[in-house]
Amino acid sequence: KMSVPDYMQCAEDHQTLLVVVQPIGIVPEESFFRIYKRISAVSQVNVRDSQRVLYIRYRHHYPPENNEWGDFQTHRKVVGLITITDCASAKDWPQTFEKFHLQKEIYGSTLYDSRLFVFGLQGEIAEQPRTDVAFYPSYEECETVEKRIEDFIESLFIVLESKRLDRATDKSGDKIPLLCVPFEKKDFVGLDTDSRHYKKRCQGRMRKHVGDLCLQAGMLQDSLVHYHMAVELLRSVNDFLWLGAALEGLCSASVIYHYPGGTGGKVGSRRAQGGSLSAEAGNRHRPGAQEVLIDPGALTSNGINADTSAEIGRAKNCLSPEDIIDKYKEAISYYGKYKNAGVIELEACVKAVRVLAIQKRSMEASEFLQNAVYINLRQLSEEEKIQRYSILSELYERIGFHRKSAFFKRIAAMQCAAPSIPEPGWRACYKLLLETLPGYSLSLDPKDFSKGTHRGWAAVQMRLLHELVYASRRMGNPALCVRHLSFLLQTMLDFLSDQEKKDVTQSLESYTAKCPGTMEFITLPDGLKLPPVPFTKLPIVRSVKLLNLPTSLRPHKMKSLLGQNVSTKSPFIYSPIIAHSRGEERSKKIDFQWVQGDVCEVQLMVYNPMPFELRVENMGLLTAGVEFESLPAALSLPAESGLYPVTLVGVPQTTGQITVNGYHTSVFGVFSDCLLDNLPGVKTNGCTVEVIPALPRLQISTSLPRSAHTLQPSSGDEISTNVSVQLYNGETQQLVIKLENIGTEPLETLEVTSKIVNTKEKLYGDFLSWKLEDTLSQFPLKPGKIATFIVNIKVKLDFSCQENLLQDLSDDGISVTGLPLSSPFRQVVKPRVETKPINPQESSKVGDFSHVKTLEAILNFKYSGGPGHIEGYYRNLSLGLHVEVEPSVFFTRVSTLPATSTRQCHLLLDVFNSTEHELTISARNNEDLILHAGECQR
Amino acid sequence: VLLRVICSPPQNYPLYIRSIPTENELKFHYTVHTSLDVVDEKISAMGKALVDQRELYLGLLYPTEDYKVYGYVTNSKVKFVMVVDSSNTALRDNEIRSMFRKLHNSYTDIMCNPFYNPGDRIQSRAFDNMVNSMMVQVC
Repeated sequence: KMSVPDYMQCAEDHQTLLVVVQPIGIVPEESFFRIYKRISAVSQVNVRDSQRVLYIRYRHHYPPENNEWGDFQTHRKVVGLITITDCASAKDWPQTFEKFHLQKEIYGSTLYDSRLFVFGLQGEIAEQPRTDVAFYPSYEECETVEKRIEDFIESLFIVLESKRLDRATDKSGDKIPLLCVPFEKKDFVGLDTDSRHYKKRCQGRMRKHVGDLCLQAGMLQDSLVHYHMAVELLRSVNDFLWLGAALEGLCSASVIYHYPGGTGGKVGSRRAQGGSLSAEAGNRHRPGAQEVLIDPGALTSNGINADTSAEIGRAKNCLSPEDIIDKYKEAISYYGKYKNAGVIELEACVKAVRVLAIQKRSMEASEFLQNAVYINLRQLSEEEKIQRYSILSELYERIGFHRKSAFFKRIAAMQCAAPSIPEPGWRACYKLLLETLPGYSLSLDPKDFSKGTHRGWAAVQMRLLHELVYASRRMGNPALCVRHLSFLLQTMLDFLSDQEKKDVTQSLESYTAKCPGTMEFITLPDGLKLPPVPFTKLPIVRSVKLLNLPTSLRPHKMKSLLGQNVSTKSPFIYSPIIAHSRGEERSKKIDFQWVQGDVCEVQLMVYNPMPFELRVENMGLLTAGVEFESLPAALSLPAESGLYPVTLVGVPQTTGQITVNGYHTSVFGVFSDCLLDNLPGVKTNGCTVEVIPALPRLQISTSLPRSAHTLQPSSGDEISTNVSVQLYNGETQQLVIKLENIGTEPLETLEVTSKIVNTKEKLYGDFLSWKLEDTLSQFPLKPGKIATFIVNIKVKLDFSCQENLLQDLSDDGISVTGLPLSSPFRQVVKPRVETKPINPQESSKVGDFSHVKTLEAILNFKYSGGPGHIEGYYRNLSLGLHVEVEPSVFFTRVSTLPATSTRQCHLLLDVFNSTEHELTISARNNEDLILHAGECQR
Repeated sequence: VLLRVICSPPQNYPLYIRSIPTENELKFHYTVHTSLDVVDEKISAMGKALVDQRELYLGLLYPTEDYKVYGYVTNSKVKFVMVVDSSNTALRDNEIRSMFRKLHNSYTDIMCNPFYNPGDRIQSRAFDNMVNSMMVQVC
C-alpha cells in the first residue's frame, strides 16, 4: 500500500524519470544541497542520437514503498540513484563504497543505473577511471558534475529505450508477465493463467506500461497509441484499477501535448523557467515520433503508418481539453473503487485540478478538490495533515477561490499548533495565518480601515486576528502580539461586544506591561512590514481647536509695521484671485498668534466609546514646524462618556509657523501617534498658527484691593485686573502699582494710557496722573524684577443739585443751591482712612446712598521687550479702576450778610459734613474749620 | 438549521446575517464566506450569457457533509446565500427558489426606503419578520 502522497505532482510528471539523489555517510547539509541544486538543474536532456528530450525528476527523499508502485505508473519508479559522499582518506574508501551498494539495494529492483560522487578523496583511488564513481577534490571543485549527470541520463535513456523496445516488440510473444501493484499480488495466486481473460488482462496492463515507457522516452505520439489500446483491452476485462491508470496516462500525454508550459505553475522553479524550453522540446517530439512510427512494433494494431503525418495521428489520438477532464473523472472513479489506491486517486485529483486551473474551469476544479478532501487515507501524521491542507489551499488559490484557500490555509495553520503536537510550530502557524489575510480581505494597515465604517466579514476577520494574536504570543514575540491586538481593538471596535472589549483590553494591558506598544514598524523575518496602529478611537476625537492666548498675553503688532505689511501684499485693493487664495489660507491658518516661550493651548473634544473608564496617559500634541515642548496630560474618561473637553498644552520653543498635526496618547500601554489627516470627521478651526518671538510678561499688583466689579470692556479690550477704591469727593489717593516681570525676557518699553469710561459726570481736573519717567528709569526690567509705578487718583465731581438730600437736611424750606466743592477753595486735609474690609452692613448703606457716584477708568500698559520687541510686537495689559466717589461736604444753606464794607459781603454757608470723619475746611485766607462727622456748622 | 446572508458587491461584506440556532454561528460565517467563491465563479461564468435572460437563482453552490448551500444573485450583484440542513429533504429546489424570490422582494422594499443607505447593514423590522416567518416555516 502506497501511503505517502506527492501533492506536488502534476500531469507532466508522467513523462519524467525519477532519480533519487541522496547523501551517504556524513555530508554537510549545505554542501549536499548545493550539489543537489546543481544536479537538479539538469532536468531536461536532449538524448544524443535521437532528438527526443528526456525529463528528469529529482528527489532527495523517496519512500521505497512508493517505489513498489513503479510498474503501475513508471514515473513512480526510481530508475536512477545518485549518491553523494564525503570521503577524506583512502582507508575509508572501501567502507564508503560498501554503503553505496547498500543504498542501491533499497531501490535495487527498479534502478537502471546509479552513480556515486565522492568528494574530498584524492590520490590513487581517485585516479582510477570509473563510470559509476566520480571523484572530486572538494565541493567547490566539481565543474564536471553537470556533464557527469548528462552522461548518466544518457545511460538511463539507453536502458529505458531497450526496455521499451523489448516490451513493445515482445508483446506478440505468448507469455506476457502480469504486472501488478503491491496489494494485488496475493489476489492472483492460483488464477488460471491460460484463460483469455487473464491474457487480455496481461496484454492490457503491458500496453499501458509500454505507453508509460514511451511517454518517458519522449515519444508522446506512441504513448497515446498504446494508452488507447490499453484502455480498450482493460475495459473489456473490467480491470478497473489499471483502466484508470491507462486513462490517466492518456490524460497525462494529452496534457503534455496541449500545455507545453506545464500545469505545475510555480511548483518547481525549473519547470517555470523551462517554459520556453519545453515548448521547443514539444516541437522536437515530431521527428522523434516519426522515427518511432517506422518502428514496426508500435504500428501493429492501430493502423498508423508512415505515410500519415504525425500531426493527423496526434490530433486523432490526443484527447481534447474537455475529454481530458472527462477521462480524469472516469479514472478517478475507478481508482475510488480501491481503498488501497487512495494516494493514486488523491494525486489524480490534484493533477486534474492543475489542468482545470489552466483551463480556467474553476467550478469543475472545485468539484475535484471537494472530492479530494473526502479521500480518506490512513491516519495522517500531523505534518502530513498540514501538508495536505496547505496544498488544498494552494490549489484553491490557483482556481481563484481565495476564500476557500484562506479557509484551508487557516486550518493548516491551526494544525501546526495542534495540541497533539509535542512541539507546536507557532512560527509556521503564524506564517500561514498571515498568508490567509488576503483571503479574508484583511490588511494589517489600519489606514485601510479609517475610511468610513468598516465593511467585511467582521466575525471571521476577528477570529483570524485573535488567532494571530495568540500565535504571536506563543511564538514569544510580545511586540507582534501587542501590534495585532491593538489592530484588533482599533479596527474591530464596532463589532466587539462589551465583554469582548473588556477582555481584549485586559489582555492588551497584560501584554503591554511587558512590552509597550510603539509606533515603530515591525518587520517580520519574511520582510512583511506591520505598520503601527494608532488608537484613534480610544478616545475618539471629535474636534480640535487651537486656543488663543489669554487677552493680557496676546501679542499685538505695532501699527506702523502692520500697515507696511498690508501695503506690500498686493498693489490691488481687491482682487478675486487673492481673495480666493486668502480664503483657502484662512481655512488652514488662524488669525492669532502664539508666543514663543508661552504656554499655548489646544482644546480637543473627545469621547470614550468603551463601556468602562478609559485612562489616557501622556496625551500631548504632535506638531511640526516649530520646536514645541508638549506638556502631556493624563485623563480619565468615564464609560461611554459624552463629548468631553480636554486641553492640551505646550510651549513653543522657537518661532515660525507651527502646525498641529495630531496628538499622541498612551492607552492600555500602547503609544499612539494619531495624525489628524488620518482622522475622518474631526472638526478643526485650522491647525497652523504663527509663533512670534518671545515677549516679556508683566504682572500687576496694586496697593488697592481687587474689585468684584468688572468693567464693561470697551472696544474689545479685556481687563485683566480690576481694583476698586472708595474716595470722598476731592480726595486724592496714590495708587501704587507694582509691575513685575514674570516672563523670561527683559521688559524694555512701557507705555501707559488711560481711558475713562462711564463719563456722564463732569470731571474737574486730571482724574489720573502719573509720572512714567520714574518707572522707566528702572527699565529694562530684568525677569523677576519689580518696578513700581505710581498713579495719582484725584476725584473732583459735581455733587450739586442733589435736591433730595438738601431737603432732608434743611427744615426751613428755603431752597438751597449746593455748590460744588472744588479744590481751589477747599482741601481734604485728612484723607479718609480706608474702611476695609467693608462690612456688609456698611456696603449696603453705601449702596443706599444714591448720591454715590462712580468713576471707571482703564489703565493700559503697552509693554514689550526681548526678541518680540525687535519684531515689532507688544503686549497690552489693562488695569480696570473702579472709583466710588462720595460727597464729603454739603452746603446746606447759603445766605449773605452785609459786611463792614459795602464792597464786600459775608457769604454764609451752612456746611454739612456727610462723612463719618472729621474734616477740615479751609478757605482762602481763612482759618480752618474743623467739622466733625455728621456735624453741621456755620 | 437555516442561515441566510445578503452580501453586497463589490467587497462582498455581509449586509444581513441570521441563523437559527445562534450558537456556533462562526462556523456558518465560514461556510458562507467560502461559498462566496463559488458565487463569484458562477457569476463570472454567467457574465458571458445575456444579462436579462439569466437566471438569478444560482442553485446549489456546494454540498458539505451537513449542509447545503444555495445562492441567488440579483441583477445589481447583490448576493443571497442560504444554508440549510442537508437532512431537510422537504426542501426542493422550487421551494428554495421561491424563498429567494421572497427575500429579493423584501430586499427591494428595503432599498425603496429613502432612509436606507445602500451598503449599510440591514436593520429593518419588516425584513426580520419576513425572515423569521420563513425560518419558522422551514424548520
